[in-house]
Amino acid sequence: MEYVNASSVRQVLDALTQADGGAVVMAGGTDLMVDFKAGKLQPKMWVDVTRVPELGGITVEDGKLVIGAAVTLTTIARSPLVRQYFPSLAQGCGTVGSLQIRNSATLVGNVVSAQPAGDGAMSLAPLDPTFTALSAQGERQLSMGEMYAGFARSAIDHSRELVTKISIPLPQPGEAASFVRLELRKSLSLPMLNCAAMIHVENGAVTWARITMAPVGVGPVRAKAAEAFLAGKALTEENMTQAGQLALEDANPRSNPLRGSREYRLDTLPVLIRRALEACRDQLEH
Amino acid sequence: MAVLHTTINGEAIVAEVDPSISLAQFLRDNLYLTGTKIGCGKGECGACTIIMDGKSVTSCIIPVMRAEGAVIQTIEGVAQNGKLHPLQEEFVNQGAVQCGFCTPGMIMSAKALLDENPEPKKEEIREALGGNICRCTGYVNIERAVEAAAQRIQKGE
Repeated sequence: MEYVNASSVRQVLDALTQADGGAVVMAGGTDLMVDFKAGKLQPKMWVDVTRVPELGGITVEDGKLVIGAAVTLTTIARSPLVRQYFPSLAQGCGTVGSLQIRNSATLVGNVVSAQPAGDGAMSLAPLDPTFTALSAQGERQLSMGEMYAGFARSAIDHSRELVTKISIPLPQPGEAASFVRLELRKSLSLPMLNCAAMIHVENGAVTWARITMAPVGVGPVRAKAAEAFLAGKALTEENMTQAGQLALEDANPRSNPLRGSREYRLDTLPVLIRRALEACRDQLEH
Repeated sequence: MAVLHTTINGEAIVAEVDPSISLAQFLRDNLYLTGTKIGCGKGECGACTIIMDGKSVTSCIIPVMRAEGAVIQTIEGVAQNGKLHPLQEEFVNQGAVQCGFCTPGMIMSAKALLDENPEPKKEEIREALGGNICRCTGYVNIERAVEAAAQRIQKGE
């Protein structure tokens, strides 16, 4: 096996081209190393991107918060910029795994690993992020929904393409976002359910809502019926409860021996959605 | 094989390594630094925690070549000139050790915390140790040991 500690994006692309499908791009590696040790992944070459300067840093550019692909979850969770604009993203990123995992793992990795209920990915999902990906064929932009190709399958082929950054439009007046999770314990534990919301309220009425939830399908799933119901309505307890119920129309959870049966998840999901909406409302009232 | 240049417990090292192994395997099998334990092998138990460039990481899922150019501390480098670190002494004083398998990882997580933040709040101690699992002690004495060590470090010990 070969190991490339890449020092530029150019070097990453060259290594991928040279390996012709046999390499795997690695950021934190906290998922990839587990898969590798289990024999699920057998790359001829690792291309480590954690020290590529172009992939580091959290900045504000042209009205967007831009997070580099090599930025760790700990850095995001503690970033003054992230905490100022998107406290729910700091919270979600600060929930993944344990501190040791967050010190290595990245937000882009949490999306590209394509697990349905990654807490970092979930807290990002309703914020309307754009992912920039680069390959020998050039650059392309993907939305959150486009990043997931199927159950635990990413649209990014990590043997030929790398994500370079995430761009998130800064919140406007009247907008707020939230992240909630139902958990067995605080650390080292995937959520039983997690969900996130972002809403825009004008003159006391919701103009749009984006609500995401998992694990109830492929990646963070949009609660479309609940979103449509809320448009034009006030965030009253009654409407938020109703939106929680309507979220079930887009949810198809499986049973998991550790993290809850399908029935339990269907019972608790409406409560979580209501809490996510209440958290948005509370921020807007302050 | 690949050539690794790294610094471990203050000593610059150049070693020929198989790049497919983890940093924990390298520490244990090549350098015989067996204080770093391998428990789950998946980053879920914290027994393999070391400090890399000031941050606690689970070395069983860190590829060895990630250590290139890095500064690494393991449990073997915590005592200085034969004198135990306040964390090590307080783990003893507070009865924070039973079987001892999780202890090196616990101490490395706690040391990463105190190096960066010598006056941690209880919540910060819990965040720092949340990735370290102990099946014997029940955590209370471990938390006390970290608090006691922090107080001693604040006094300049």
